[in-house]
Amino acid sequence: MEEKREKYTKYEKARIIGARALQIAAGAPVLIKTDEIDPIEIAIEEFEKGVIPITVKRDK
Amino acid sequence: MYIEIRAVDVVRVPPKRLGDDLQVVVKEMLQDKLEGRMDKKIGMFIAILDVVDIKEGRLMIGDPGVYYETVFDVLVFRPKMQEIVEGEVVEIVEFGAFVEIGPLDGLLHISQITDEYISYDEKGAKLVTKDTNRTLGVGDKLRARIVAISLNEMDPGDSKIGLTMRQPGLGKLEWIEEEREKEKEKG
Repeated sequence: MEEKREKYTKYEKARIIGARALQIAAGAPVLIKTDEIDPIEIAIEEFEKGVIPITVKRDK
Repeated sequence: MYIEIRAVDVVRVPPKRLGDDLQVVVKEMLQDKLEGRMDKKIGMFIAILDVVDIKEGRLMIGDPGVYYETVFDVLVFRPKMQEIVEGEVVEIVEFGAFVEIGPLDGLLHISQITDEYISYDEKGAKLVTKDTNRTLGVGDKLRARIVAISLNEMDPGDSKIGLTMRQPGLGKLEWIEEEREKEKEKG
């Protein structure tokens, strides 16, 4: 049950951004100021700024 | 009987509420989910009292909502076999009386009201005894014992609670008083 900030796998990154985009598309409050209108683009920008409140749990 | 219990359940916080205070939203979701609902083993959920602990939120594939497992205190109405209850008559029918006990109604079958012969007076909407001319009508307060319980989760209003008053110390409150006065005079 470790949190990994330095390097997510590409699958983890995709899952995080995808889950966050789904939340945004469904009306969740957005955590950054942006001009983007596409939920996926917004999620990507939140990810790059490191503000997405989603953690990854790994079994090892 | 009313009891406070500590319970565990999982609630879903909808995406629109994700920015709100977690304690507030989780309590609200618990209230929406549980208050007014019946559980066969636990009883009827009356009110969520306190949210004691909220675990880490979990995400499900394809669902934008977040699921939180939570520990909370809740007030529950749990009718117990052989329990003595006091209630008020809310309806008189041919076969007996419906008595309001807590959030549910119990049924006092006409055969379970007194030891003497009792009949239904349709015009007055009362049950009347033959010998002592005692009546039982809407609004009367009484003391009875629970002798049968059948809780329906799907339709809580359809739950059946069977009552009896054919035991010493039970009956319409006025009758109990009369009996007590009689005992005093004797002794």
